[in-house]
Amino acid sequence: MMLDGKTALVTGGRGGIGRAIVARFLREGARVYAADLTPEGSLATHDDDGSIFVKLDVTKESDAIAAMEQVAENAGQLDILVNAAGIEIEKTIEETTLEEWNLSFAVNVTGTFLTSKHALPLMRKATKGSTASIINFGSYDGFIADPGLAAYCATKGAVHALTKAMACDHGPEGIRVNAICPGYVDTPMLQSFFTGDGSGGGGKTIDQLQQAVRDVHPMRTYGTPDDIANLVNWLASDEARYASGQLWVLDGGLSAQVQQMKL
Amino acid sequence: MRLAGKRALVTGGRQGIGRGIVEAFLREGAAVTTCGRGPRPDNLADSVIWYSLDVTDAEAVAELAHTTDGTDILVNNAGVQVEKTVAESTDADWDAVIGTNCKGVFNLCRAYIPQMSEGGSIINIGSISGTVADPSMALYNASKAFVHGLTRSIAVDHGPRIRCNAICPGWIETGMLEAGFELATDPKAAKRDALARHAMRRFGRPEDIASMAVWLASDEASFATGQLFTMDGGMTAASPLNPGLF
Repeated sequence: MMLDGKTALVTGGRGGIGRAIVARFLREGARVYAADLTPEGSLATHDDDGSIFVKLDVTKESDAIAAMEQVAENAGQLDILVNAAGIEIEKTIEETTLEEWNLSFAVNVTGTFLTSKHALPLMRKATKGSTASIINFGSYDGFIADPGLAAYCATKGAVHALTKAMACDHGPEGIRVNAICPGYVDTPMLQSFFTGDGSGGGGKTIDQLQQAVRDVHPMRTYGTPDDIANLVNWLASDEARYASGQLWVLDGGLSAQVQQMKL
Repeated sequence: MRLAGKRALVTGGRQGIGRGIVEAFLREGAAVTTCGRGPRPDNLADSVIWYSLDVTDAEAVAELAHTTDGTDILVNNAGVQVEKTVAESTDADWDAVIGTNCKGVFNLCRAYIPQMSEGGSIINIGSISGTVADPSMALYNASKAFVHGLTRSIAVDHGPRIRCNAICPGWIETGMLEAGFELATDPKAAKRDALARHAMRRFGRPEDIASMAVWLASDEASFATGQLFTMDGGMTAASPLNPGLF
């Protein structure tokens, strides 16, 4: 078990990718706090998986403080923080309202900032004899753009830069900070992207659209939450003790290629 | 005229991007020499000096550099492509692609750097393919990554005397591009699809690359070195997975 004896908190912990991370951490022997708006999260179901639910709206500083107080009382320290909570507004800048723009930044960027800020005192306590690990969620969209995702792309670029800044500032304290940059992963967010209007269905059925998306990947499939959890687990573990400040793209080779012209 | 009084050598000036750069440099007042395999093209401006030169021939390149009376601008544009995967590529393909695209650039840089003037500018033609892969272009993609790496090394080793940058073109309207579309099952649909993947809704033209080359060659770019400048109409800024297009 790679995370035996470690304590972890996962924001968005009842969502698509978050839930897979929580399950993997539990299998690896960690004590896991699954932080989310509701116990059901975006999957709208709830199984007792052995994690401890923490009610957390990542945009609220008081929620972040309360969540860390709960961890402090029960565990006394925090070895692993995963900032997986995120939202996606499927619009160009012209269509995006100021409220939607602010909400995107509040969840994806400010949420990462607030949760990390208030986790740091507990994470410093976890650095005796090993390192503590923060794993942020960037995106391959922080490097290149998908059409009609302007605010999302911008927030993920911000998370990438924040990741490097945090790694710089807190590395000397034994806290590693990395970001995972997923490509297309089978989550409620992706399914909403397929069904949402304006994202380019082109008269195709959802099945046809999904297959077309798979075919553009060198691996001929998009990722599963477990694929992402595999790398999160490694970055959280002591095997990754020298890994910090990096943006880890996990996209089945999608962004290694140029646009796939139909020749 | 932004290049008045400057002496430029552009390799591969017979056609395409190289010819576009030759003509732009002429308009900006430079004295231009260009070269290529075979005889002088009929339609090349009289004021341009032409050498029949194979850039893979190190001795011939060195000889040309010795007879040249100082150079301010070197553009390494000559290049070839072979459309194959690694598994399909032969030793002859390796020699052709690596010989011209890698050793050719190296030959020119090695021969010309010692005699280039203070403030000289080397401009290598890299490619977006050196950063993201075009399918079935394995050796070409790798050769352009070599060009990008060499560009940074020259900038680091030979600054401040010489600046060195690379331009990374995307899809440029050349004979090579048209030939590609003709091979498609539905050339018109293929062209429409490819255009939709460009934010500017057009392909590049040799003069688009030439305008960047003029700027990099000029004294306006005196702080620009060691960088890759992509000119692709926004194509690689977008994901390869463009949901509107399938």
